[in-house]
Amino acid sequence: MSAAAANARPAADAARRLNRLRAFDSVGLFMTVGTLALAVLWAFPLYWALVTTFKPESEVVKAGLQLWPEHFTLENYGHALFDTEIGHWYVNSLVTSGATTLIVVFMAAGAGYAISQLNFPGRRLFWWTILASFMVPFQALIVNQFVLMSQLHLINTLTAVVAPQLIAPVAVIIYKQFFDSVPRDFREAAVIDGAGEFQLFFRVYLPMNWGVTTALAIIVFIGAWNNFLWPFLAVTEQEKMNVTVGITQVFDAFGVKYARELAVSMLAALPVAAIYLIFQRRVTQAIMLTAGIKG
Amino acid sequence: MHSVELRNVSKRYGAVQAISDLSLSVAPGSFTALLGPSGCGKSTLLRMIAGLEEITAGQCFIDDVDVTLTPPAKRRIAMVFQSYALYPHMTVRQNIAFSLSLAGQSRKAQDEQTGKVAKLLQLEALLDRRPAQLSGGQRQRVAIGRALVRDPAVFLFDEPLSNLDAMLRGQMRVELAKLHQDLGATMIYVTHDQVEAMTLADRIVVLDKGRISQIGSPLELYNSPANKFVASFIGSPGMNFLPVTIAGAASGRAKAKLAGGAMIETPVRSVGPFPPDAELGIRPEHFALVAPDAPGSALTGAISLVEHLGNSTILHVDTPAGPLIVEGEGNLAAKAGENVGLAVDSDRAQLFGPDGNAL
Repeated sequence: MSAAAANARPAADAARRLNRLRAFDSVGLFMTVGTLALAVLWAFPLYWALVTTFKPESEVVKAGLQLWPEHFTLENYGHALFDTEIGHWYVNSLVTSGATTLIVVFMAAGAGYAISQLNFPGRRLFWWTILASFMVPFQALIVNQFVLMSQLHLINTLTAVVAPQLIAPVAVIIYKQFFDSVPRDFREAAVIDGAGEFQLFFRVYLPMNWGVTTALAIIVFIGAWNNFLWPFLAVTEQEKMNVTVGITQVFDAFGVKYARELAVSMLAALPVAAIYLIFQRRVTQAIMLTAGIKG
Repeated sequence: MHSVELRNVSKRYGAVQAISDLSLSVAPGSFTALLGPSGCGKSTLLRMIAGLEEITAGQCFIDDVDVTLTPPAKRRIAMVFQSYALYPHMTVRQNIAFSLSLAGQSRKAQDEQTGKVAKLLQLEALLDRRPAQLSGGQRQRVAIGRALVRDPAVFLFDEPLSNLDAMLRGQMRVELAKLHQDLGATMIYVTHDQVEAMTLADRIVVLDKGRISQIGSPLELYNSPANKFVASFIGSPGMNFLPVTIAGAASGRAKAKLAGGAMIETPVRSVGPFPPDAELGIRPEHFALVAPDAPGSALTGAISLVEHLGNSTILHVDTPAGPLIVEGEGNLAAKAGENVGLAVDSDRAQLFGPDGNAL
């Protein structure tokens, strides 16, 4: 091989690499621009809603696109905070979502542990029942649940809001899968050390899967906070309403006041947004967990 | 010090018989190794002693007390697992004190005992770390600490060193041996590594397909294997086995004729009659390299491969009697393709009958 040919080869390789890099860059650029465009498309209504809450109503209904308030006002938030029962609704949402979260996590962890680690008659049937219940959409049960709550004289109580939300087969499935994946040695080591089932559950299995518990707790809380359909049916009295249902009560005798309604909506969404911002990683993990189950 | 005894124990998993009518007595203060290949039932046996596996038939005694139906926590045993089973959410201190905390001991008593164990195992500086922040050897020591703190009657080890690299394994072997010397406790140790068993145990139980193949001291097993299985399992490189015909026997010795015509006279343990066909077992170090035409040369052959290990040299030699592995000195200047003669230390060779038992 001549010296010229030997020199030409690395140069050709470098040119090929550069071309490949350029091709990669253009793909990357296209993807970035596309993603940004989608993000703007998704975020714009949120921005629009937020901006609207700082506008006087006269400006909201004015023709044309106004991306920034001409006259900045906090009057809509003042109305939401002082002229509605949003305080009550907040407390109700907090109580029902908190109770739902605590009970769902505790029950799901217990059921998941039992199915995963204990041998008892009917275990398999229990497991298949939970899997089967996962296939039934909540909406299909709504009439039965309403009748049941009504017969139990629980309509217009916070218990009625919480009770049907406690059926969370997906949480049981997730816990079972995680408990299944705990190596048997941990259990056996603890048994030799003198641990009973409750100690195994509370001191070994639950703390070892703490990440799952927090992720599930967050997603159950967000789900319960955002739930509208069932609380809307179960409660008709304003002081028993959740914040999501309470929004529907913000109307005016002279028509719809968009800025006011949006201000209440913003306040309603605030806790969830805060939770998401604080526990971003855990929420993503939880979404991936449940998405994995749902296939 | 405490004893363990298994009387006619069996373990069956459906149609699979894991342990068959096995009896074993572990003397107080002994270090007993359960040795065998994967699937021989050694871990099952250990777990039966621990109470983690139900005994299908037979009885288990610890200190002459029948513990067959006693739950694991009440057997006064402690077990070190292959995976260490250290709780990842607890610190070293909490891991060690876990059994004490379950037993409801005060925080002061827990700290006192944890401190003692940590000092013994040189874990004091690591007490506030979590298992993920420890090296393999440190984790191993914590696992031993967790066993020690319970002050058990019997220590059970289930392949505790198999997750460590070769160097660390050597160090931990020494630490375990020292620990046994210091504590004088009864220890039962499961391993598939014959080097571990030979170096640590004062008594080795070789298991094969759920049955005891031989029990003895490391040297007894090495020098007088009861059968071909034990002979092949103990020693590295393994024993050479050559098909032979027995040409005659007298005064505790038998004449074995190898393929190719060579004749070797070797001691036998039984009085006969002997089957005509047998196998002659010769350990690699019981050969000596000589010139092919030297008077002591029992076999001749060509070297097919040379492995220099530093302290010894392993030669693969093709002979008319069959391929052989020969262990020579570390600085042996042998080359592949070279013809060599092999002298045999016939007094240390073993004859095995067609059923695999030593003759």
